[in-house]
This record gives sequence, structure tokens and C-alpha cells, in this order.
Amino acid sequence: MALDNTAEVETPEHVRFRYRVAGPVRRMLAYLIDFLIRAGVLLVLGMIVAIALGGSEAVSGVILVCAFILEWGYYVFFETISDGRSPGKRALSLRVVKEGGYPIGFIDSVLRNLLRGADFLPVGYLVGLFAMGADSRFRRLGDRVAGTMVVVEERSRVAPPLTLAPPPTPAELDVFPQRPPLSAWERETLELYLRRADLTAARREELAQTIAPALAQRMGISFKDPVRFLALLHHRIAATAQPRGT
Amino acid sequence: MLTQDEFVAARKKDWAELEQLLGSGGGFRRLPAASIARAAALFRSVSSDLMRAQAAGYSPDVIALLDGLAAQAHNTMYSAPPYRIRAVWELIAGDFPRTLRRYGRFFALAIALFVLPGVVGFVGAMKSRAFALNILPKESVEQMEKAYAEGFDKGRETGVNTAMAGFYVYNNVGIAFRCFATGVLFGLGSLFFLVYNGLAIGTVAGLVTAAGHGKNLLTFTCTHGAFELTAIVISATAGMVMGYALVDTGGRTRFGSLRARARDIAYLVMGAALMLLVAAGIEGFWSPSGLPAKVKWGAAIGAYLLVICYLTFAGRSGAGKAREEARP
Repeated sequence: MALDNTAEVETPEHVRFRYRVAGPVRRMLAYLIDFLIRAGVLLVLGMIVAIALGGSEAVSGVILVCAFILEWGYYVFFETISDGRSPGKRALSLRVVKEGGYPIGFIDSVLRNLLRGADFLPVGYLVGLFAMGADSRFRRLGDRVAGTMVVVEERSRVAPPLTLAPPPTPAELDVFPQRPPLSAWERETLELYLRRADLTAARREELAQTIAPALAQRMGISFKDPVRFLALLHHRIAATAQPRGT
Repeated sequence: MLTQDEFVAARKKDWAELEQLLGSGGGFRRLPAASIARAAALFRSVSSDLMRAQAAGYSPDVIALLDGLAAQAHNTMYSAPPYRIRAVWELIAGDFPRTLRRYGRFFALAIALFVLPGVVGFVGAMKSRAFALNILPKESVEQMEKAYAEGFDKGRETGVNTAMAGFYVYNNVGIAFRCFATGVLFGLGSLFFLVYNGLAIGTVAGLVTAAGHGKNLLTFTCTHGAFELTAIVISATAGMVMGYALVDTGGRTRFGSLRARARDIAYLVMGAALMLLVAAGIEGFWSPSGLPAKVKWGAAIGAYLLVICYLTFAGRSGAGKAREEARP
């Protein structure tokens, strides 16, 4: 298993895809947003009730009922009507799904949210945090009981093809073997490196210097400029598609 | 084999079309039938694109895009069964009492774990005030002795009643939910809350009785107690079922075993929550009223009979039972 934050799901029709599982920090931020929304709603409702009922003793009772509904009903309501997304989760592109990738139902939502009573213990969701830390899919106890997980749902775009400036000459490319002997992970690393736009020239060169000699030695070629060497190598690989893992 | 750029250029149009059909994720309900069929076809082609991209080792951004599209399409096509208001009625009319009867042993154990400490607390507090002080904080002992000194012969203001009903909803239902949720710690939390609440309630009753106001307390609590005490015991039962599922897994993984009983557990807790709402209404408005003690006692007997009959007989026949028996 790869040590990353993805969860692979295989559907009954043998389609396999991966979810990006949401980590604790992102979920805490979503919780914070939901918390502020609930606090705001309670404040506004409280003021309306206080004005409507005047100085009656009943005010505190009505406010407590509102607080109760917001505390236990808020998540169940939004996760049920809006397909696993409370407003805070929506703001951070999170969604609760069943472990098989299906949308969650009412009962799942009731269970995962009632279990907040255990995850919250002893204070500030400490139990939940430990449970998340001990799980490869960052599930807190409520998620485990309900069989759900929280995933990140971000639209990604196909990045524009990397271009080389100046364009590679055939002579430069010919020194490389037809199929450069790089593993899938090495190719991914190379691509991620070349797509980093935030590096200074010196740092770019320094990083290239750590990997270029090893790769050059493997293919038995020499290079002058490590950055240019890696870019050319990537260009060569992109032009020849290969099966993974060779 | 295609290079990545050729592959992306060839398939991009379909991906964009599927993305557009999926829209904001509101489901297919609003789409015309032709678009749904088209989306299904596109989902299949995107799935094979994804496998192809993985096999060919295309770059992470392409795979992430396809993963996201496939996941979202899958999520939309297999949407959850819509929630029906009828399900609430089915819960009350059958699912809840039937489930409780199936876990009758757990329920009986929970009753014992609640009532026995209650008796101990009652007798202990009757015999010595020091016993009560060991169990409850000094302030609440004094407050309890004072609170029931007057009784409710004159009733209470409606405003105060509403305030108290709100407090009972927030506090008591919250207690019941926590009593349930902590059952996930191998049932220990539920056991603790059950014994503790039994002991505390018994102690208060003993304390007030020893101070000579026992009648005030009992006429106040007798009616709503039928619903409230039963519901707290039931939510603890749900917690115990949850904890036991973690221990006796029947060959499944611990949480797999728990998930197999998730629906039962949810029925028990939701049923208990509904009973607590009834209890809060009675506790806020009926119990503190100035009605004569005899009327309240009559109502209490009626309430207990109602609860017992409901839990024993409701849902013994009908469609829900047939459905449940058909379930493997």
C-alpha cells in the first residue's frame, strides 16, 4: 500500500478509482466554519425570540431547544439533504461518503453525528483525533460505526504540457535511450519537480543536482546542465508512452 | 500506444461533457432521460480512460482529474435512497419496539444496572445524609432539599414551564445521547453513565424523602419518569449493544461487526430520543401543574402501562415485520 492519503474504491462493476481522504486539519477548519454558523444562527434566533416574547421566562427554554436542535440536528440535516456536505464541508470541498463510495443516507448520518458524543471526549475531540491518527482513512469513531469517510472533492485540471525553451534539438534527444529506464514513481517525481514554478534558479539547480547524476549514470550518458538534462529526459518520456512499473 | 498529450486531446471533449452533466452535484433528477443515458455511457468511458491512464503511467494531474470525475459520477448515479417522512412513522409503529425486543437481554441488564444502584442510593441517603454527600456535590444536595420543600400545589407560571421544558430537552436528551455514544468504548461509557445516573437519582429521592418531602418529589416525577427513565435506559441499551458488537464480532472485524448492527442501534437511539421529547413535554407542563396528587398518580400508572404495552406489543404484525423477516 502506498503511504499516501488516498482510498481506493472498487465498485461492483469493477471500476476502480481513488478518493483523496481529508485529514484532520482540513476537517477542523470545516468544523470551525460550521461552529461559527451555528453560533451565529443561535445568536440571531435568540435575539428574535427575546424580542418576540419580551421579558418572559420562556425565552431561555426556547433558546435551549434551538441550541439542542442546532447541536444534534445541524449535521444530520445538512448531510442528508445536501448529500454529505454541511456548509463548512462544502466551503472546504469536503464530502462524507460511504466506504464503498456511495452517498450517505439518513441513518448513516445519525450514527456518525451522535457518535460525536464519544469522539468529543475528554475535551475538544481528542478521542476522535487519536482514532483518526490510528486509521489509514482518517476515520473518527463516528465514521467507523457508520461506515463512512470524509473525502476531498476538488476539480483538477489537466495541466498544460510542459514546454522546453529553447526547444530540444534532435541531437539533444538522441543521446537518451528509446525508453528511459525510470520507475513510475521516478517519473511522477520528475514531473512534479518540473512543474514547480516557485523555485529560485539556484534552488532549482540544487535540487536537479541531487537526482540528475544518478539518472545519467543509469543510462550511461553525461550532461552539462542538470536542469536542462531533467527537462529533456521528461520530454523524451512524455513522447513515448510506457506501461507503468517498468 | 498514445502519448499523454494525444490521449488528453482525444478524450478531453467527453470529460468536459460529463463534468457539465454532473453539474453542481445535485443528482440526475432534473435531467432529461437522454442526458442520463448519455451520462451513464460517459461514466463507463471515463472509467476505462482512468484504467488506461493508470496503466500507461500518465502524469498525476490527468489521473487525479479522472479519479475525481469517476468518483463524482459514481456518487451521482448511485444516489442514496431518498429520505421519506413515512420512515418516522415506521420507526414509531414497529421498527423501534421490535428492535428493542430483539435485544431484550441487553435491555433487562440495563434496567438492572439502573434500578439496583438506584435502590442503593435511595436506602443509603435515607439512612444518612453523609452518604448523599459522598455521591453528590454539597450544593446540589442543599438545592435538592430546598427545591422539593414546597411542592407544586399551586402550579407554576407558564413561562417558567416553557423554560424548564427547554432545559430538559437540552440537558436530558443530551445525557441520553452521550450515554449512548460512549458505548463505543467497549460499552464502558454506557455502563458508567447508567450506574451513575441510577445512583444519583436514587440518592436524590432518598435525600428528599428523608427530609420529609418525598411525596412532593414523587408526584412531580412519576408521570414523566415513565418515558424519561425508560428512554435513558434504552439509549444505554443501544450503547451496550454497540460495545458488545465490538467484543463478540462473530468472525468479522470489530467495526465490521458493529456496522452489521448499525441499523438496529440507530433505531434504538432514535426511538429513545422521541420518548425523551415526550418526557420533556410532560416534565415541563404537566408535572409541575397544581393538579391533585391523585390525578397525577393516575396519569403515572397510565403512562407506565402505555410504555410497557407499547414496547411489548407494537409492531408485532404488519408489513414492517414481514420485511424484517425477509431480511437475510
